[in-house]
Amino acid sequence: MTRYALRRLAQSIAVLLGVSVLAFAIMQLVPGDPIRAALGQQADPATYEALRERAGLDDPVPVQFVTWIGNAAVGDFGVSFRSGETVLSLILERLPATLSLAVAAIIVALLIAIPLGTLSALNPRKPVDWFASLSSQAGLSVPDFWLGIMLILVFAGTLGWLPSSGYVPLTEDPVEWARHLILPAIAAGVSSGAILTRFVRSSVLESLGQDHVRTARAKGMRARDVLTWHVLRNALVPLVTVGGVQLAYLLSGVVVVEYVFAWPGLGQLAFQAVESRDYPVLQGTVLLFAVIFLLVNLVVDLAYARLDPRITYRSAR
Amino acid sequence: MGAAMNRGKVRGHAVALAVIALVSAGCGGGDDVNVDDPGGDGESAGSGAGDNQGGDGGTLIAAISAQPDQFDPHKTQAYASFQILENVYDTLVVPDAEGEFQPSLATEWTTSEDGLTWTFTLREGVTFHDGSSFDSADVVYSYNRIIDEQLANAYRFASVASVEATDPQTVTITLTAPTPALLDNIGGFKGMSIIPEGAAEATDLATTAVGTGPFTLEDTGANGVTLARYDDYWGDPALVDSVEFQYVSEPAAALTALRSGDVHWTDNVPPQDIEGLEGDDEVELGVTPSVDYWYLAMNQTKPPFDNRDFRRGVAFGIDRDEVTEAARFGAATTNQAAIPEQSRWYHEYAPFEHDPDQAAELIGANAAATPQPMALMVTDEYPETVQAAQVIQAQLAEVGVEVGIEQEAFATWLDRQAAGDYDAFLLGWLGNLDPFGFYHAQHVCEGTSNFQGYCNPEVDTLLQSAAAETDQDARKTLYDQAAELIVDDVSYLYLYNPDVVQAWAPGMEGYEIRADKAINFETVRLPE
Repeated sequence: MTRYALRRLAQSIAVLLGVSVLAFAIMQLVPGDPIRAALGQQADPATYEALRERAGLDDPVPVQFVTWIGNAAVGDFGVSFRSGETVLSLILERLPATLSLAVAAIIVALLIAIPLGTLSALNPRKPVDWFASLSSQAGLSVPDFWLGIMLILVFAGTLGWLPSSGYVPLTEDPVEWARHLILPAIAAGVSSGAILTRFVRSSVLESLGQDHVRTARAKGMRARDVLTWHVLRNALVPLVTVGGVQLAYLLSGVVVVEYVFAWPGLGQLAFQAVESRDYPVLQGTVLLFAVIFLLVNLVVDLAYARLDPRITYRSAR
Repeated sequence: MGAAMNRGKVRGHAVALAVIALVSAGCGGGDDVNVDDPGGDGESAGSGAGDNQGGDGGTLIAAISAQPDQFDPHKTQAYASFQILENVYDTLVVPDAEGEFQPSLATEWTTSEDGLTWTFTLREGVTFHDGSSFDSADVVYSYNRIIDEQLANAYRFASVASVEATDPQTVTITLTAPTPALLDNIGGFKGMSIIPEGAAEATDLATTAVGTGPFTLEDTGANGVTLARYDDYWGDPALVDSVEFQYVSEPAAALTALRSGDVHWTDNVPPQDIEGLEGDDEVELGVTPSVDYWYLAMNQTKPPFDNRDFRRGVAFGIDRDEVTEAARFGAATTNQAAIPEQSRWYHEYAPFEHDPDQAAELIGANAAATPQPMALMVTDEYPETVQAAQVIQAQLAEVGVEVGIEQEAFATWLDRQAAGDYDAFLLGWLGNLDPFGFYHAQHVCEGTSNFQGYCNPEVDTLLQSAAAETDQDARKTLYDQAAELIVDDVSYLYLYNPDVVQAWAPGMEGYEIRADKAINFETVRLPE
């Protein structure tokens, strides 16, 4: 187990390094530079040169990269070209909003997917099944942009039940935090829910057909207990994998939903960093997203072992 | 009924915020309020309930469409930042709604006979938000910071030889050449704000602010900022207790929030929504012509766009009314020159009536190919350029120019513009007041914003003399002459001056929508 953990750690560092190099290189290939983006049209050449030099952009690209990675290794992710704030503070400022939205959205997704997927698996080719596959198809094809605006118009506009946009920190006012969270969580969670519904359906179907389920039924176990103890538990394993990926995706920012609901999340931060060619912020967020994916994957792998005792992690040799 | 309930909700929220503001201000804040009262100017007496003075102005909630990049007035170039800083900082002089400069931190100023020495008398009794008092050393420090560090607005001091503190209440600016546009240069916008001496070293101006304005910057976050009334403000104190700016990019969200009473004011009103809002009782709509202008520029270092007659052909080929309708849904005034009709510097000149025959003739005679390809660079940062380009493409197709629209991210757009890598582009200049700002950097041969490569020595002479002419009428004549040449040569192909469009809650009083899009909330009273 220890060797397994160490190997995973080594792999992770290699992946992170690779991601940083790639992100850095791609930014260099994209036309446009941060100083010009910050100055706008009124770019006086003398000012432009002075700012470029101060930002260290005149150094050769490999030198810039090595400097950055060296500082990042000791926790210094640099200062945003755009705002003058440290990258770390910009990210930390947005992390609570992103965590709130991602967790709420994955809950919405699971609340849709588990009942709907299970019901449709238990009633294959019946109206419930058709309804489930139709609605998951719809959930997948509805653009979240449109869904978000519709939710705003209906629930904030016509009905006036919920605020139209914005974010209130949990620590400031838990009730307002929740009220502001509902609509964006639905907008962000529906497509994940649609994806997960299909997985739940197919893995429940698969479990239903397995020998131990037939045995359990044959020995007279109640249908509800069979479903809970033998079917759903087995069906959870693939759900954890796909759900984990969905969670990681939600954690790395849902730009469109954040935009529509004025939600100050990491997606907007990364998007603005691309727009303004704010290299330090972009590098910082990309690195963070990579860490999120790696962590979620690790948690998913460890969760397997809990859910399915047949899976153990041993060193290869 | 529903609206009234919603407003109640907003007020509840406001009280909560006011409490937070008071707590964070500590006892000092309460004292200030009391000290202020006796010396007040009837404003406080008018508001009735004298016992509850500190907390009933409420919180004004404003939804702005873009996000500020930072709050250092000398470093930011973002309009969203200035929307907020407008309420926090002051400049020596400030434009009024007509664009005329009025006293602010300077109460009066004189110009020497030769126009090379300007002497500003500073206002007495002004304090910064940190409690320190304002004097000439702060002005010298602020201006020298911009000049010495070559910050974004250093070009505004191009003709300034020195800034000196003659005595604590007097600042003398010495120039290398007469600069009639000096007031615009130092007061045209809050990029030229006065900060306390040493502030840049002592505090992080990117996230905090130490100004002299009617509001203090209390809290900045990823979703918005909060301002609180500064009770020791040198002018009439603000009527609201605090202002909360929220960043709402999606217009549907902003308008829904306005309708439901969650916000009081927004600038996030796309032109296509104007018509629908005009008869709407839940929304007060403000539309006024702006001092911005939008234009098309052709790359005059590249054939056939270097050919004056070819460019004139393009100018005849464009129907501005159609372009304006498409780009702004009519919320704009077409103009063949830069300066809008409302300005005292306006000069009526419109030689290019839409004339496809003449256009085809001029283009046909001077094009390098038939049809002549022209790559038109636009940016999604300003969607109106994309919409205008589509109409222009259709119009020019009929007169022998095949327009290829190239839509770029703004960072890329700017890079290509700077590199001269384009045939033509569409863009605007925003917030101009003095004709110097409208014409100089864009059209003198070596102008820092002359990306199109225009060079007409006659225009240079006119613009240089105008820049140094201290008699305003004579100056206007020079600018009028220069403007005619610029239009005739199609250095810029001017299209229109857009309207400023903002919306606010019915019953919100004292707000003035301005041509330069400066937003001042200190005079605003919230609806009951």
